[in-house]
Amino acid sequence: MAGIPYTEALSRYQIAAPRPLRDSSLAVADLLEQFHPDYLKNSTVELKVGANKGDRCHRDLARILQSDSRIDDLALAGVEVLETDVLVIGGGGAGCTAAITAAEQGVEVMLATKLKLGDSNTVMAEGGIQASIEPSDTPQMHYDDTLRAGHHLSDKALVELLAMSGPEVVRWLIQQGMQFEVNKYGDLLTRKPGGASAPRVVYYRDYTGLEMMRVLRESVRNCKVVVREFSPVVDLLSDESGHCAGAVLSNLSMDAYTVVRARQVILASGGIGRLHLNQFPTSNHFGATGDGLVLAYRLGAKLRDLDSFQYHPTGMAYPCHMMGSLITEGVRSAGVQILNALGERFVEELNPRDHVAAAIIRECAEGRGVLTEKGVGVWLDTPTLERQQPGIFERRFPKLVQRGKQGSVDPRQIPMLIYPTLHYQNGGVVIDVNGQSTVPGLYCVGEVSGGIHGRNRLMGNALLELVVFGRRAALHAAANLRRSGYHRVSLEHLSNMRRELMRLGEDMTYKGPQLFPDYANFDNDPDYRDLNYRIILGELGARIRKLVST
Amino acid sequence: MVKKMVSAKINGHAVTAPDSMNIIQAYWHAGFPRISGVGCLEGVCGSCRVMVRRVDSGKVTAELACQTMIEEGMQVQFLSFQTPKQHTYRLADFKNSWDVQSQFFDIFPEVSHCRHCGGCDVVCPKDIDVENGVGLAAMGRFREAGELFVECVMCNLCKSGCPEQIAPNQVGLFARRVTAYFHIRPSNLINRLEAIRRGEFRITR
Ligand SMILES: Cc1cc2nc3c(=O)[nH]c(=O)nc-3n(C[C@H](O)[C@H](O)[C@H](O)COP(=O)(O)OP(=O)(O)OC[C@H]3O[C@@H](n4cnc5c(N)ncnc54)[C@H](O)[C@@H]3O)c2cc1C
Ligand code: SF4
Ligand code: SF4
Repeated sequence: MAGIPYTEALSRYQIAAPRPLRDSSLAVADLLEQFHPDYLKNSTVELKVGANKGDRCHRDLARILQSDSRIDDLALAGVEVLETDVLVIGGGGAGCTAAITAAEQGVEVMLATKLKLGDSNTVMAEGGIQASIEPSDTPQMHYDDTLRAGHHLSDKALVELLAMSGPEVVRWLIQQGMQFEVNKYGDLLTRKPGGASAPRVVYYRDYTGLEMMRVLRESVRNCKVVVREFSPVVDLLSDESGHCAGAVLSNLSMDAYTVVRARQVILASGGIGRLHLNQFPTSNHFGATGDGLVLAYRLGAKLRDLDSFQYHPTGMAYPCHMMGSLITEGVRSAGVQILNALGERFVEELNPRDHVAAAIIRECAEGRGVLTEKGVGVWLDTPTLERQQPGIFERRFPKLVQRGKQGSVDPRQIPMLIYPTLHYQNGGVVIDVNGQSTVPGLYCVGEVSGGIHGRNRLMGNALLELVVFGRRAALHAAANLRRSGYHRVSLEHLSNMRRELMRLGEDMTYKGPQLFPDYANFDNDPDYRDLNYRIILGELGARIRKLVST
Repeated sequence: MVKKMVSAKINGHAVTAPDSMNIIQAYWHAGFPRISGVGCLEGVCGSCRVMVRRVDSGKVTAELACQTMIEEGMQVQFLSFQTPKQHTYRLADFKNSWDVQSQFFDIFPEVSHCRHCGGCDVVCPKDIDVENGVGLAAMGRFREAGELFVECVMCNLCKSGCPEQIAPNQVGLFARRVTAYFHIRPSNLINRLEAIRRGEFRITR
């Protein structure tokens, strides 16, 4: 790829006042079509089985949707069987919100998650959460902005609820004990997300997700929710009428399964970044491998927008070991400029994400990018921002300053090199206003669901969505527990899909859901020592104290 | 930008990797599986706790593996443990903010036994002023105490390091939560909630 090498480009770079915008010479639609990764040739295929048969789907996602299960009925003979009213799958923001809300209704709740409770995309969120609370803003504007950013493909009923519920969600979070930034009179501070018509994002430093997750996790631990950590779900269970009737949990050494029979199941397993679609780096947490889509699809749930993903414009491109890490959109909201290797401004920074990402990819593809040993990128002109608003990084973006130290790039002195990073799954499981999928007994909330963001999401709408629909699903599920008790559960639905795949001569060697990215080497791990020989806490404390004292 | 290869020991395994990698990346690079002590890979989920001994100083420190670059001669041990049992309390049970201080000691009685030994400060990978935070909370200065725990990732290392079994991180989180619960009352939010309740905002599709 052509471009200017890092050191040379850096020596050319200068702090400067606002720069003029170069004319784009390409209409937005053409820019997206030519440069956005969703439109890459051969990146999508047609699904051959299931509720979305015939629909376009990203190649790598199709592979896991049409994969063979990791288990069969035999694997379940004689295993531990547990029962609960509501089973929540996933310990991120959506799962915790649903678990807390269901438990408040007095029903039995179990929450199973892949790794530690709170290890999720939620804890990593930086920018904030949308709620129309400023006098210059209205829920209608929030609604309109969301639809426009999503290219008018969103489900309008869902977006209406989203926009109307924003203020109530912020109130609920404060009542859970979450802090937000306020001014000296105690009013919430807001900032303007890319693609919005008014300031609308409330936040806590650049640690909004950390603050939110800390509080929700503590809330879960403080209500009567049974929590199973390190228990990835490998398949859902169905009953004779095709209802979702529970799930199969595994342990990390894949040698012991647990069947959980549940009257209602709420799936909140998050996104897909760690599938590294189109070989992009990602901002997502380690367990974001799209498992929920696979689980729901096998049970017959309808999905949507399987060829639409969000590539966040400001992923780190240098230093290389931090490739893909997110730089919050808050920095763009604060007025930072984006420059190519020649020092030119080429895109309106606060345009919607897909537009800015495509513009960056274009600069790099056309030889105006900065080359590193592993890739390419453009400048995020942070030193100029610091010059214009002294102290802003220390005050508002401590996490970024911290991260800069770790990579020996102080954003106040040296511009950060950025390139789009795989960030969010725009589509997902089709849901109604109560978070119900097309399969009875199965609710889907948070990033795993689809329909709210159309083909592009606005900053701050994901955190909002997960509380709005996490709560609605839990209330609806708790109020509509099936009376007849637990049903005969089975993996019948898997056999049907398996038969169909064999008939089509599909390759059945690949087992899903993926659970962890390939480079973690999970399936080759014969015994998982740490959890098998779990160090008991007391002993650990003693060891730490001994080491500290020496 | 020249890569240097370094050799280190992780969980007893000899590992060679470029020095531009963090501990988790280096372990993967050398072909070892690693799942349980991994999470966000950005230093906010608190899963990848490790103990690290460096050759030059010989000092042992507790750190987050995803935030620590691999170095020549480094010895690393992952600390995977289940989340310890913790105190439970419900904010909704606090009827009156005047009573929070007395209830605090009902919930966290061991806080009054703090030895000011600084064990928690030493192990905290986020360099939080933990001991001071516990002290401030004990004096009922919850807002101030909570401010110290802004960057706490709830890794529980401070708890495992405390000889009195105090959970300083939970104390810090308690301090933060009561501050929000009782003192954040933004008028812009409340005005909007009222207006919505009165039906002043409708959405036309
Ligand atoms: C770096 C970053 C910054 C972001 N910033 C913002 C922002 O500022 N504002 C905003 O609105 N949004 C932001 N987002 C998006 C937002 O954080 C997420 O979309 C949202 O938090 C998703 O919540 P969730 O609960 O649906 O999924 P997650 O929070 O990802 O939780 C999913 C949970 O399910 C578990 N799980 C997965 N598979 C299984 C399985 N098979 N069995 C059991 N458990 C499973 C996972 O381990 C995890 O605990 C950001 C995302 C990232 C990655
Ligand atoms: S205060 Fe405790 S839990 Fe929080 S980061 Fe420090 S050691 Fe970890
Ligand atoms: S380790 Fe425990 S006893 Fe020592 S200072 Fe910290 S909280 Fe107090």
